[in-house]
Amino acid sequence: MRRINSVYGRVEILKRVLEKPTKQSHAFSASRSFSTEGAYGGGGESQQNSSRVKIFDRDLKRVHRDRAAWLSRNKNDTFVDAVAENLLDRLEDCKKTFPSALCLGGSLGAVQRLLRGRGGIEKLIMMDTSHDMIKSCRDAQDDNSIETSYLVGDEEFLPIKESSVDLIISSLGLHWTNDLPGSMIQCKLALKPDGLFLAAILGGETLKELRIACTLAHMEREGGISPRLSPLAQVRDAGNLLTRAGFSLPGVDVDEYVVKYKSALDLIEHLRAMGETNALLQRNKAKFSIFLSRIFSVLTTIYDSMFATEDGTIPATFQVIYMTGWKEHSSHPQAKRRGSATVSFTDIHKQFGGQS
Amino acid sequence: MVRISRVMLKEAGNAIDKTLSEILVCPLSKQPLRFCEKTKSLVSDTIGVSFPIKDGIPCLVPKDGKILDEDADASKAS
Repeated sequence: MRRINSVYGRVEILKRVLEKPTKQSHAFSASRSFSTEGAYGGGGESQQNSSRVKIFDRDLKRVHRDRAAWLSRNKNDTFVDAVAENLLDRLEDCKKTFPSALCLGGSLGAVQRLLRGRGGIEKLIMMDTSHDMIKSCRDAQDDNSIETSYLVGDEEFLPIKESSVDLIISSLGLHWTNDLPGSMIQCKLALKPDGLFLAAILGGETLKELRIACTLAHMEREGGISPRLSPLAQVRDAGNLLTRAGFSLPGVDVDEYVVKYKSALDLIEHLRAMGETNALLQRNKAKFSIFLSRIFSVLTTIYDSMFATEDGTIPATFQVIYMTGWKEHSSHPQAKRRGSATVSFTDIHKQFGGQS
Repeated sequence: MVRISRVMLKEAGNAIDKTLSEILVCPLSKQPLRFCEKTKSLVSDTIGVSFPIKDGIPCLVPKDGKILDEDADASKAS
């Protein structure tokens, strides 16, 4: 534990170095802005992490992903494949090719498998917080035409130099970051000018049936509610996130997938295999297995009675928000300056015969 | 069999890919990293932290970083 705090505390030394006027000082100050909370540069706070809100337990998330790597080693997940396919399809809509690409955690295996040479990618870098996940991707690599490198890293502290990759893809990975704007800003910095950022995250409507059933089951058995579903982004927030990170030509679209399961247990197994189980810091840390068995029967009954379909299967909604953004480049169309118009509306009105 | 020899080749050489060595920087300070032959790890001199390389894969999660003491005894496991 001491080690963790101290490593972040090393950045204090970095701040002292910044005070000395070296010839690299302007490069330093540029990199200061990548964290939105101003944690790294502002006002000489001694605990820079206290200003960042911690919602998710990232260490637990690593453990979940280690387990997911093992659980999903043999099976291909249709939902995850569908999302990855949709994301990669967008590469074909671009005229540009992307020689170097970075793939951030989430469903890495699906992206690697379904890439099939789209987008003209020659060098692929796979990054994830979980070592086991990266190892299983490396073992599953069957396409040697793309030079693939593997790396273990955290999306919130991107270890990639500025302006070094053409494309960043993140399929269902960024909704577990504590500081999503900060991660997106770091992604933008890592992109070369005219580079593309493609991400798919889970949206607010995801697993709404499970959320309702859990709340009811909880209230019935325990008399209180503990948060079970992570706070998820809304579609309107996605657009703001992209502009806040400074991407130009942002685009957001939403897709809803309804996946049917034979029982609630299958749903939970699927979530575990994707590494999407509860990692909120506020979760009820009581012995989960005892807890689960107590409310589980109530949970399944409520879920079946409220949401079951005619053929006995239960549905679960997954709302996926796809975000695209480009790093600014001179070739991108820019909005003109106010007052620089050359044609007035009255002229246009006259031109078109004044129909109203 | 081919897979095993690929891993060994990576370990024998520079221990990390050329592609990676060009674009990797320290996750906290964003400064270039130095490969340390003795401990087979990537060292960030600015903040004095070393990141391990496990099985040919660099681990640049801040939590995995080991703080280097002034007398550079980084090979101590902890």
